[in-house]
Amino acid sequence: MSKNKKLKVGVYGITGCAGCQLSIIFNEEEILDLLSLIDLKAFPFIKELNTDEEFDYVILEGLVANKLDLEILRKLRKNSKMLISLGACACTGCVPAYRHFTLKENYEHLLYKRQEELQDIEPSPHDEHVKVDYYIPGCPPDKKEILRFIKGSVRGVLPRPHQNPVCIECRRNGNACLLDEGKPCLGPITTGGCNAVCINGGLECWGCRGPTKDMNLELMIKILRDRGFDDRFIQDRMRTFAGLKLPMLERVMQGSKSKVLQTRFDGEKKFYE
Amino acid sequence: MQVLRLEKKRLLHFLDVVKKGFEIIAPVKSDLVRFSKIYHAEEIYLEKQSYFPVKEYFFRKEETLFQFRGTSITVPAYAAKKRMFFGLRRCDLNAIKNQDIVFIGDMGDPYYKAARENSYLLGYHCNTAPSPYCFCGSLDLVDFFDLMFFDKEDHFLVEVGSERGKSLAEKYREFFTDSQRLITQNEKRIPGVHRLENKDISGFYDHQDWKKGADICLSCGACTTLCPTCYCFEIHDEVKTADPCKGERRREWSSCQLQEFTRVAGDHIFRKEREDRFKHRIYHQLQYFKEKYGVQMCVGCGRCIEGCPTRIDFVRILNEMKNGKTENNG
Amino acid sequence: MAKQKTTVENPYLPKPYKILEFYRETSDSFTVKADMEIDHDPGQFVQVGLLGIGECPISICSDSREYIQLNIREVGNVTIALSKLEQGDTVFIRGPYGKGYPMRYLKGNSLLIIGGGCGVAPLKGIIDYAENHRRDYKDLTLLLGYRSPDDILFQRELLEWKNRYNLQVTVDQNTHGKFCYGAKEGFVTDALESMDISNNNQIAFVCGPPVMMKFVIRSLKDKGFNDDQIFLSTERLMYCALGVCCHCMIKGKFTCVDGPVFRYDEIKDLENE
Repeated sequence: MSKNKKLKVGVYGITGCAGCQLSIIFNEEEILDLLSLIDLKAFPFIKELNTDEEFDYVILEGLVANKLDLEILRKLRKNSKMLISLGACACTGCVPAYRHFTLKENYEHLLYKRQEELQDIEPSPHDEHVKVDYYIPGCPPDKKEILRFIKGSVRGVLPRPHQNPVCIECRRNGNACLLDEGKPCLGPITTGGCNAVCINGGLECWGCRGPTKDMNLELMIKILRDRGFDDRFIQDRMRTFAGLKLPMLERVMQGSKSKVLQTRFDGEKKFYE
Repeated sequence: MQVLRLEKKRLLHFLDVVKKGFEIIAPVKSDLVRFSKIYHAEEIYLEKQSYFPVKEYFFRKEETLFQFRGTSITVPAYAAKKRMFFGLRRCDLNAIKNQDIVFIGDMGDPYYKAARENSYLLGYHCNTAPSPYCFCGSLDLVDFFDLMFFDKEDHFLVEVGSERGKSLAEKYREFFTDSQRLITQNEKRIPGVHRLENKDISGFYDHQDWKKGADICLSCGACTTLCPTCYCFEIHDEVKTADPCKGERRREWSSCQLQEFTRVAGDHIFRKEREDRFKHRIYHQLQYFKEKYGVQMCVGCGRCIEGCPTRIDFVRILNEMKNGKTENNG
Repeated sequence: MAKQKTTVENPYLPKPYKILEFYRETSDSFTVKADMEIDHDPGQFVQVGLLGIGECPISICSDSREYIQLNIREVGNVTIALSKLEQGDTVFIRGPYGKGYPMRYLKGNSLLIIGGGCGVAPLKGIIDYAENHRRDYKDLTLLLGYRSPDDILFQRELLEWKNRYNLQVTVDQNTHGKFCYGAKEGFVTDALESMDISNNNQIAFVCGPPVMMKFVIRSLKDKGFNDDQIFLSTERLMYCALGVCCHCMIKGKFTCVDGPVFRYDEIKDLENE
């Protein structure tokens, strides 16, 4: 490994909160070892000297929200053999992309009217503009998953992306099902890999890692309706992190109204007393 | 089998004394009932069945198979904790027996074996059905325990089920008196747990009702995680950042309800449809396992139904198949 | 953590073997010869891997007690990592596993070997076996189909096979207009149909993509082959190869223990799984 040249890596951010880049740094114990594995050519967030040419791969945080973002994204794509989307914004559009689902007059006056130089474009994840080679989703992404990717890349192996729902890890961790407690948990339709960190802490899953390929969306909507959530709430919740990846949501919501699914919900109380 | 008598008021004292020589794992009620290590005998909760199965103590959620460094391999020392499990139900005990068949009988899994070898199994007989979902009476469960506690108002009758049980009872002889009578077969029956009428499902493979279960399945894998017998797993390697030549190979739980479960390189998925996966689980529980090992894998604890977010009641679905009832009834 | 040496055989532990020979077969596959000295049947497989990357099941495509030969196609992480090895490197192998072709019980028959793409690899085990026990079997007919002339496997052996046996190679598409080894354009099934072959004392061995196997079986049946005269080799995701992890289950059968070779009448009903 070390006899070969180290991989040239860049870490960049476009519109976003920089939390995903922080997730890399949060690997405090291993961050220095990481530098022995790769040649970190650029990481403007923490590094003073950066070069932006010829990368083996670029890890890019944030989404495209203005013209400058798009320029950076295209440039990095051109200069890099692989592009890795880091975080929910980069992968699914996350909260900034919620703008698609609300009226312009609701937000326009807050910022864009005052700051004309922003030259905003419709917020969108990377893969709407360029080819993405690997996704590390999550808000914030799992710091170990980032490490696992980098370690894999050094050996020429891309870790198999998570496809299983959050519930797999959640149940393994011995959590009670929050749906049984009447909470609007999106775990069953959300891609796992986060070790169910929110549910471990008692907070329901909001779906930050995006929908699974195998989700049963119709049933999920039905379950939430059974628990007394109205369609507006369900739609808002599902769109918070991954609205752009659920283009079928409205159609399924309409379609599922007429369908009878025999599910059972015992109410918020478990049958244990 | 030999039967002893333990006064109920002496149970806590008995367990507290045992605790000096063993780690005691028993059902404890927190948000849900689960098996965990107890520090005081009063913590033990025997009213209802545990929500989570006990299997994680033998077939662990994550197990390091071996560590490697360059090309040399070392196996971590196998667990040697002396454990006493208390409060295992008839279903839990049979589930352990079924996993023994797979991990000890079939392949000689050293990790499982080590955990089992140091475990004493103390059962607690259900006088009433411990969960509205269980149906163990429909299955052919057997006596499998070291000691089994039968709850008799002010005392326990303790049946000795093995040589290890016998030596354990002798070790703590001061707590027990000899009982004058044996446990009858009738006493071992648990009322209200004969729900599954359709045990031989070989003729129902193409039945339309499988869809009923699949339609309300999220493929979340709760059923297999909570099942005390399900034993499938995956193996992954993990390397150290400081030196990618060092690392370990790990085994972790998996679930046949996931698409990923049968995905091969090139992205072909053999059981892509939810219905196929649901059907596979039930067939493995009731038929395939029996074909291979002679017993049904399912022990009728009902955890897969209780833990399912939509309560897919496969027992009802199977019964309806047999009784030819296909219309929806709420 | 305290370490101890295992006293009993731990079925999960692979052993290191030296690569005696390594060469590329096609643009996406290569052949490895490793110094593993074991008794095995043709059609059995081993778990081949690298520490830190993982393992994958590969059929043994040789018949020797001194070494094993493996033909590997680069499709996943492990196989790609294996493709970067060289002669003299170490691979980790455990096995052999599964039920191979029951050659001992098929003495006195003619062998019809039908392979498609990388499915030819396990079949090469039979060819080598038959060569080593030439007097036990009558005629050998090889019918090998590939996508294009570039995908033809075992080119080192093909000439010899052509001289000794009744060999026919087909390619789905002849991209260069160059025919080698007398390859004809078309599908294996077409070649089989036009072949004058009877089921009399003839055993057919089929391995290839699922679609190809389906059609080959159909035309074998047309030619009068009975179910118990046809052997198939199957492929599944597997981890343990010990009949435990359950990933390779086809209905009640474990590919790793009951297979990978099945007589057609054993798995006839399992076709859709």
